[in-house]
Amino acid sequence: MPYCVHCGVELDATATFCPLCQTPVLDPVQPPDTTSPKPFPTQRGEVAPVSKQELALLLSAMLICVAACCGLLNLFLKPGRGWSLYVIGAAAMLWLWLVPPLLARGMHLLLRLLVDVAAVGLYVYLISMDLNGQAWFWGLAAPVIFWGGAVLLLLGLVLRVYRRSVITSLTILIGSLGVFLFGVEYLIDQWLYRAWNPSWSLVVLTICVGLVIPLIIVRRIPSLREEAHKRFHL
Amino acid sequence: MPGREGMSEWYRLDNAGVLYSALQKETYSAIYRFSAVMDRPVDRQALQRAVDQTMPRFPTFRVRIKRGAFWYYFEPNDAPGPYVKEDISNPCQPVRFQEDNGWLVRFYCYEHRISVEVFHAVSDGGGALVFFKTLLAVYLRELGHRIPNTCGVLDITAPPRPEELEDAYGKYAQGKGWRGGRRGRAYQNTGTPEPFYTLNVTMGFCSVLQLKQKAKSYGVSITEYLAAVLMKVILDKQHREAPGRELPVALAIPINLRAWFPSESLRNFILTTRPVIDPSLGEYSFEEVLSQVHHMLRLNLSRQRMRAELTGNVRFTQNHLLQIVPIALKNPVMALGYRLAGVRPYSGTYTNPGAFLVPPEMEPHIRRMEVILGQATNPRVHCASISYGDVMEITFAGTQKETDTEREFFRFLIRDGIAVKVESNRTE
Repeated sequence: MPYCVHCGVELDATATFCPLCQTPVLDPVQPPDTTSPKPFPTQRGEVAPVSKQELALLLSAMLICVAACCGLLNLFLKPGRGWSLYVIGAAAMLWLWLVPPLLARGMHLLLRLLVDVAAVGLYVYLISMDLNGQAWFWGLAAPVIFWGGAVLLLLGLVLRVYRRSVITSLTILIGSLGVFLFGVEYLIDQWLYRAWNPSWSLVVLTICVGLVIPLIIVRRIPSLREEAHKRFHL
Repeated sequence: MPGREGMSEWYRLDNAGVLYSALQKETYSAIYRFSAVMDRPVDRQALQRAVDQTMPRFPTFRVRIKRGAFWYYFEPNDAPGPYVKEDISNPCQPVRFQEDNGWLVRFYCYEHRISVEVFHAVSDGGGALVFFKTLLAVYLRELGHRIPNTCGVLDITAPPRPEELEDAYGKYAQGKGWRGGRRGRAYQNTGTPEPFYTLNVTMGFCSVLQLKQKAKSYGVSITEYLAAVLMKVILDKQHREAPGRELPVALAIPINLRAWFPSESLRNFILTTRPVIDPSLGEYSFEEVLSQVHHMLRLNLSRQRMRAELTGNVRFTQNHLLQIVPIALKNPVMALGYRLAGVRPYSGTYTNPGAFLVPPEMEPHIRRMEVILGQATNPRVHCASISYGDVMEITFAGTQKETDTEREFFRFLIRDGIAVKVESNRTE
């Protein structure tokens, strides 16, 4: 019978390592038994998939119904004004946010963000149609939405692809917010004055930098980092 | 809302059942498992026949859970099954009320092992062991052995007795109610969570005789000794982590109330007691921890105090204000209440249903018994033990990657002169 040299416990004859300390079983005289069954099954229980299709169908039906009813009502209530576009747009946006992730299992982050940003863009476009605001839509709203989408995408990729500590994630989040708002002011200035004159976003960016600097210091100095981990149970 | 207790219609959940059904979610499992390792490989067909014969005798297990407007309730389940399945490496998966034909009891077999998994709202360990013992007796009869209906094996040809179906909490809830004082936050003993639906199980086997002698040398019971070892291991672990302020280490130890109140109910009838050690007061040696655990358990376990506590719990669920809150609102509130009062004040759970006694005719056919508790709400290990003959089986089960609690626990036993054999479903 094998024993763990570190824990002193007896192990199963089929064990190739100690389950308590992961020390490998190395006995040249008696190698692990590979023919006998393991003490526990090796087949994992599959998780029965939740019926996402049904949920997607129900959500679609509800949103289509709302959009259709409001569209119909618009024919009689203030028919000169396309107010139902707001509701239809909101329903379309919600549908794009909720239903594709339900139907496509493991939808890629990039694709999902693209769809979500496109949904917001579509909704704002519908509003601009009602308000005859093609100019502000293409001049201001669309660039802000795409800028927001780009920052979100970068944020999502950075946080998802690399395993980050809580401190680093917080640093990146605050930094991204500052950069996003800086870009927003640039776009507003370009739209309004055709010139860039940074003011409030510089204040926000400075606040964000001010918040980020101590976090970076804590992250860079091992003793401080350990203390933060210990104190805040990170 | 009185349920008709004749089991032909719906009936309401008992006090513990109300809590477990409200808490059930994908990341928490109120499922526990008992297994018997037999002397020969399991005959799956014979086991299925045994299940089919045994289930009708236990109407409290032959139920599905339904969601009412204000509360969950049970109703008899006449769907096909439950079926015996091939065992899996990640046991005690959370229950989904709508799936598996609504069954709240599952049966598995693997090589020599027969396992039964029970949703805690249906029954506690005491009730489930009566059910399992009867099932094993019927299974052995199917294999041609003569097994009498003694030592707690129920007669499957007899109708269920009303005492088995009673809500014992309701029966003994009398007098002044008490819901326990405010319990502070304990050290949580959590680790790195495993991916979804992974349950790491590590079992240790040791001699009951050796344990008994060791516990006797300290003047305590086996349960007290094992609980103290677990607390000492967790105390030392917290100390190694060197937090700014060391939090108390507290265990939740379920107490089978059938030993205190004459009840034969096969539904829930337990309370938990909470031995606690506060390391901020100073360092405790193992003997001091053991002495504290020994005295705390004995001080807290009195008939009057337990009656007051169960009365308080029953009164709480009978509160008129709570009654009229819709279930959709009640569940999150109860989940929050459980987190504050059932998770935060504890570092872990240790349960010991005791010795599994069977008729002498069954003894040669069972090698050992095993018990596993389902995943906790946070990534930490639950500890459970059960003895059969001279084999004490101690299980650590949880969703955390690290093995430090179980490793130090079993190393402690080895250092204390108790030989331990370890098996696990871990693959790395």
